[in-house]
Amino acid sequence: MTGTLAQFSTALADTVAASTPYVVRVEGRQRLAASGIVWSADGLIVTSHHVLERDDGLRVGLASGEVVSATLVGRDPTTDVALLRADASGLVAPALTEPDSLKVGHLVLALGRPGKSVRATLGIVSALGDSWRTPMGGRLDRYLQTDVVMYPGFSGGPLVDADGAVIGVNTTALLRGVNLTIPVPTVRTSVESLLAHGKVRRGYLGVGSQPARLPESVAQSLDQGTGLLVVSVEVGSPAESAGIFLGDTIVSVNGQAVRDLDDLLALLPGEQVGKTVPVRILRGGQAQELKVTVAERP
Amino acid sequence: MSNILSRLNDDAADVLGSVQRSLVQVHSGGSGAGAGSVWHSDGLIVTNAHVAAGGPLRVTLPDGTTVPAQLLARDDNRDLAALSVDVGGLPTITPGASRSLNPGQLVLAVGHPWGVLGAATSGIVIGTGADWPDMPWSRRNWLVVNLHLRPGHSGGPMVDISGRLVGVNTMITGPDVGLAVPVSTVKRFLREAFPAQKAAA
Repeated sequence: MTGTLAQFSTALADTVAASTPYVVRVEGRQRLAASGIVWSADGLIVTSHHVLERDDGLRVGLASGEVVSATLVGRDPTTDVALLRADASGLVAPALTEPDSLKVGHLVLALGRPGKSVRATLGIVSALGDSWRTPMGGRLDRYLQTDVVMYPGFSGGPLVDADGAVIGVNTTALLRGVNLTIPVPTVRTSVESLLAHGKVRRGYLGVGSQPARLPESVAQSLDQGTGLLVVSVEVGSPAESAGIFLGDTIVSVNGQAVRDLDDLLALLPGEQVGKTVPVRILRGGQAQELKVTVAERP
Repeated sequence: MSNILSRLNDDAADVLGSVQRSLVQVHSGGSGAGAGSVWHSDGLIVTNAHVAAGGPLRVTLPDGTTVPAQLLARDDNRDLAALSVDVGGLPTITPGASRSLNPGQLVLAVGHPWGVLGAATSGIVIGTGADWPDMPWSRRNWLVVNLHLRPGHSGGPMVDISGRLVGVNTMITGPDVGLAVPVSTVKRFLREAFPAQKAAA
């Protein structure tokens, strides 16, 4: 009589049970502990940057019940990803899945281990978009929003699909009131960068800016309606050294149009650090080109 | 051949139908009313202590009749109460085993949210037990569930996908998080309240 419902219920509970070995507790803040995901058998743990209020004295609660110390490999505030190395080996890492396999409406489970055991909530994929710039200046390979309930301590834990594969890391810290999942490809990029450099490098010019409408004639010749008006220049920054002034309007970097902040951030990935790039500005209505050596964002 | 979603719908409706047969409404004089389940066919009803607090108790039975009820036992700590109505042959809820519930399993909660009679909400088990670091004030066993309990659900049944009672809807800690007193606690409460008699069910 309750055949299908029973199968559905059992499948959900089995998926949760199969995921418990790789969902860990991350103790790195005063109040409630948060969650993390085993990334490699030799102790790498992925969690959320915002749940780590300190860099030292971190501890990880494993599925075995054991609590081990962990060191911070690095954190990427722009995507809210942090990487720990737990003093453990022989851990179970999950199967990972790429966001391309997801559709809006798919059932997903959010898992966490704020206490001793794994907890679960159920929801669906609410929105799935293209790549997305976070308010902190990071880039997510896909915008992935769900309606799962983020139970207290779930941040840093996994979103899993119907097969129990990890879709990404859940966080409530990137957008207020919205459950976002940092998709696996973005986590992978951050992890690789954190392992190599201890942080995720971003290029830096040292200007504060806001989009501004360009004069009609300039807009037509450049084929872009807006540029970035420089409203502050940091002392000792690449922008200052290159002679960028308050009131200049940046219209392109490295030959690529800059219409808004998003454009500029996209043109300053970590690989640009140390490189000298042409920056085209409008000053007093006249276009000029300056050479700026991109620094690393502090 | 119907698709899986309509089969799920049919199954859920069947479970609901069976649970509603033993669902009552509990009035205690004040504004608002809670819910309860018939535990024994001779008129033993289980609900929350906070639902049975206050004035003269009356119970609206599944057939719509409202009768006076007597408070037999009450435990404010566990937030449970046992009432009795002078009506025999009532359909009863089937007790389940909350201990065998695992995170991810589906449950349904039934009650009278905001006075809507016999309304249901469903979700999955977030977890069971007493290990809730987010509720440091509570060292009790809870059945914590990802569904929408509202005023009027209190005292009503939370059931598994077979319609067996796994908890008594008791409170919320968020708009989408409901807490139920596990049925194991209910059984213990009844055993202590009625050492030799009705709790045998």
